[in-house]
Amino acid sequence: MKLEVVRARAERFGGIVEVARPRALLHVDREMMRELGQPPSALWDSPAPADAPLVAPTEVHLVLSRRCAAGCTGCYVDATPQGPALSLEQARLVLDELAAMGVFHVALGGGEALELDYLFEVAAHARSVGITPNLTTSGLGLGAPQAARCRVFGQINVSVDGVGEGYRRARGFDGFAHAERALRLLRAVKEEVGVNCVVSRSSFDGLEEVARLVRTLRLNELELLRFKPVGRGARLDQELTPDQARRIYPLARRLMLRHRIRVKLDCSFAPMVFWHRPSARAAAFWGVQGCVAGDVLAAVAPEGDLLGCSFAGPAEADARVPGAIRAAWPGGFSSFRGFVRSAPEPCKSCEYLRLCRGGCRAVAAAHGAFSAPDPGCPRVQEWTARSAAEQKAGTFALPVVRG
Amino acid sequence: MLFRKGRVLRATFGCNPNSSSLGVDVTFLLFGATFASALALVLGSLLHRPPDP
Repeated sequence: MKLEVVRARAERFGGIVEVARPRALLHVDREMMRELGQPPSALWDSPAPADAPLVAPTEVHLVLSRRCAAGCTGCYVDATPQGPALSLEQARLVLDELAAMGVFHVALGGGEALELDYLFEVAAHARSVGITPNLTTSGLGLGAPQAARCRVFGQINVSVDGVGEGYRRARGFDGFAHAERALRLLRAVKEEVGVNCVVSRSSFDGLEEVARLVRTLRLNELELLRFKPVGRGARLDQELTPDQARRIYPLARRLMLRHRIRVKLDCSFAPMVFWHRPSARAAAFWGVQGCVAGDVLAAVAPEGDLLGCSFAGPAEADARVPGAIRAAWPGGFSSFRGFVRSAPEPCKSCEYLRLCRGGCRAVAAAHGAFSAPDPGCPRVQEWTARSAAEQKAGTFALPVVRG
Repeated sequence: MLFRKGRVLRATFGCNPNSSSLGVDVTFLLFGATFASALALVLGSLLHRPPDP
């Protein structure tokens, strides 16, 4: 058995190589890059700084539009039926630049990307420049002919935040039958089909049913995405309770073992995972990380804004301008990249800081302070409670001495 | 080549279709650091230089 390298790019530590079967990105050291016949890089002339960002993101979320007819109550991009969209030409320009930078994957989404009649042209262009296009969709209105064209994508995930009535409660309309039909149609033409499930306070108890659906339809993954109070979601009181935040990682493991399915948790769940103290070495090897915005990940909004992630952060450039992404990348994204260096307590003393990176900036920003520790992190909650208790105890214990 | 001097430092499998990045693959995190180290050796030995065009 051999793992053939289909693409590679140099990094300060060595490089990243892409393998097609199984589909994987491997970080390798400089010696391995040389052994694989990769050309020498000027990046290898000096020692690699431990906390330097990647020379380009490995994946970019291309928010093709804020256009969607579904009107989900918690839509994080605030999509409407007439929302703005990147044109085909703009999307092609962005993809050309990302390809030149060495980006491996794009996640195409919206809005509802399938509502754009040029979606498949965007995907085909991504393929033509060596980038794997992946897709998130609600599946609404997907027919058999469209499903057949979806072979162009790598991974396709359909959003299913609950089964049956659970779907309606989570999204505000009765669309489960459409989503299930889309999953069946897609699974009939390709294997890399999965489910995205937003885990909110009210959908938490329905995760078992969603996992069962993934097993029944023989899908290849269940991705659990933490509810973030942004976009229309900011109006909802749906963030996980402290108890749910502590239970999500053990629950994900249980779902994986019970249903024999692959389960992933998105980057914003990192604090909830690290609270259970997994092996830091294993986590580093498997790429388990918290906020990787402006490092592993970037996003392009329909208005052209280049962002660290599609949920938060200042616009770093107008991605529609040729050369703007490449120019902004090396010195930009300081609000994301600077967190570890200047982390406040309790992140500062956390042994997982370099992996967790303070949790989700979007959630922290939604609570009023972009650079604060993630308020949904169990360690942060415990520290806050302890500080409040000590302060209260101190007030009663210490006499006030006035001169 | 069975063993190489070079090392695999990190491995992520699959593609992420989402707006938020892939954070934790629960499947792999079940295995500890020893398994990860062994797998790094195996992956390194299987990596293959693409044929020259």
